[in-house]
Amino acid sequence: MIYYIGAFSLILIGIYAVLVKRNLIKIVIGLSLVDAGVHLLLIAIGYIKDKTAPIFSNPSLSAGDMVDPVPQALVLTAIVIGVAVTALALTIVIRLYDHHKTLNINKIRELKW
Amino acid sequence: MNTLPYFDPALMIALPLLAAFLIPLLKRASERIPKFVPLLILGFNLYESIALLPHSLQKPIVVIIAAWQPPLGINLTIGPLGNILALIISLVGFVVAVYNIKFVLEEPGEKYYMLFLLMITGATGMVLTGDLFNLFVFLEITSISAYALTAFIRDRNGAEAAFKYLLIGSISSTMILLGIALIYASTGTLNMADIAQKIGQVDSRITLAALILMIVGFGVESEIFPLNGWAPDAYSQAPTPVGAVFGGIVVKAGVYGLARVIYTIFSFQGVFHFILIMGIITLLMAEMSALRQKQIKRMLAFSSIGQMGLVLIALGLATQNAVAGGLFQMFNHALIKPLLFLSAGYLVYYSGSKDIGDLDGMGKIKPVTSFFFAFGAFALMGLPPLNGFWSKLIIISETVKSGYIVLAALALTGSIIEAVYYLRVVGRLYFKSPEEHVKTKYVHASAVVAMSILAGLALFAGLFPDVILHYLQPAARELMDKTQYIQAVIAIK
Repeated sequence: MIYYIGAFSLILIGIYAVLVKRNLIKIVIGLSLVDAGVHLLLIAIGYIKDKTAPIFSNPSLSAGDMVDPVPQALVLTAIVIGVAVTALALTIVIRLYDHHKTLNINKIRELKW
Repeated sequence: MNTLPYFDPALMIALPLLAAFLIPLLKRASERIPKFVPLLILGFNLYESIALLPHSLQKPIVVIIAAWQPPLGINLTIGPLGNILALIISLVGFVVAVYNIKFVLEEPGEKYYMLFLLMITGATGMVLTGDLFNLFVFLEITSISAYALTAFIRDRNGAEAAFKYLLIGSISSTMILLGIALIYASTGTLNMADIAQKIGQVDSRITLAALILMIVGFGVESEIFPLNGWAPDAYSQAPTPVGAVFGGIVVKAGVYGLARVIYTIFSFQGVFHFILIMGIITLLMAEMSALRQKQIKRMLAFSSIGQMGLVLIALGLATQNAVAGGLFQMFNHALIKPLLFLSAGYLVYYSGSKDIGDLDGMGKIKPVTSFFFAFGAFALMGLPPLNGFWSKLIIISETVKSGYIVLAALALTGSIIEAVYYLRVVGRLYFKSPEEHVKTKYVHASAVVAMSILAGLALFAGLFPDVILHYLQPAARELMDKTQYIQAVIAIK
């Protein structure tokens, strides 16, 4: 249960940061937090109490002693995607800073509907 | 029926991915190789999707990857719908690759071709995959390369547009992941056919929450109002061929994701009305915004959103003919919007500004480019006998048949607004006197070839709509009746 609460609070904190913060770097941190929250949620879904990681590290382990491996595979993929998005976001932030000399999103507003 | 031999369909995804990462190496051998790689790969994809079509029309093709049986392993499920969309994606990609042979301004580096191929990989993967999480991964591949391509021109507005797109895009993909987590938690499977089978037993509140998360997620790529704020900026700041690719490929893959989710995975009755209403709002908002744009590429971007609104109306009606009409509209849009973007790219280059006001008299100086632009504009407006006419006719007559007279009237109003702003541009091209300082560079042959292919196909689809509909009806049936789709995958076990 604690994991679910933790996951949803991470998601909400992240969304709060994206919506309210004006600093581009903080917005990117918010995105990463939302990502982390969803990852935690996925892992929590696959967790079974008192079971171990789905790796045959010890010959005496049977499949019944392990947690669900599918969410872990998903999260591994999702983490890689998250890293790519964060890296790209930060390069764009650097470029925005080069052009505008500010990280405040209110001052970067040249394109409109 | 004689059929062409075909290869393993997984190559349609694997080859562009491999080629994308080989491009930097190939560039070391020769500077000129990278620009021909996409041409070769997309030529293969085009052939492959044509060769697969007769097979997938009869029965969805299920490809098992790495010998893991569904529902555990990831599999490709190529039904008529996925196959036709893969065909559209390869076709548009091929045409844009032809156009890329000679650039209007300076030549981009090999990174451009790399990102272009990655985007094709992602979009093709999205329409072919049979696994929900795989769909998410391919969506991310598509959108990450789309963010990077938006910022490809290193100016200040490009970075701003890309950041906007990235922000809304990554939040939306997190929503999709959250939806996938909910679905996995309640059904214990990620295979789309398997989910479709089990979704009925799940608590309807959980399904509804997952459905909303997914609609929000895919709504960004398919430009549903109010999630389309990124589109005009991204379309107008990205390099011209990229704008064409956004309209022709990225949006189509997004709509496919949406259609797959609402029809196959959930088939939740109430949602169709919601889609219908969002479609009409999207259409009207976009057409009215397009009317007041001063820059030609922004105008085209808003018109693209409007067309997607029409597709959503068709999907929301949820009758077989309407869905076929919606797919026809997607097909037409995939042909015409790249044509408009590619010709507008040259017009912008000649006049030296992005404003519509500076395009006066281009029809007299640059007859070829202007002709293609006017042709595209007429086709999009729905002037018979061009292709836009038939798809609009089907959608609007189906709206009336389903009893939504008011919606049909609103959709027609949208079409009239669309005609107004396109005719305004075409009128300026032909009936105003040109200014003096126009550049006198001719259109490169590759661009003419690219635009002629698109225009020729648009004319063909307009003259023989039945030929196209013959292929689209099975695709619409696939969406309306999911049992065949489920059967094909379950039978593998």
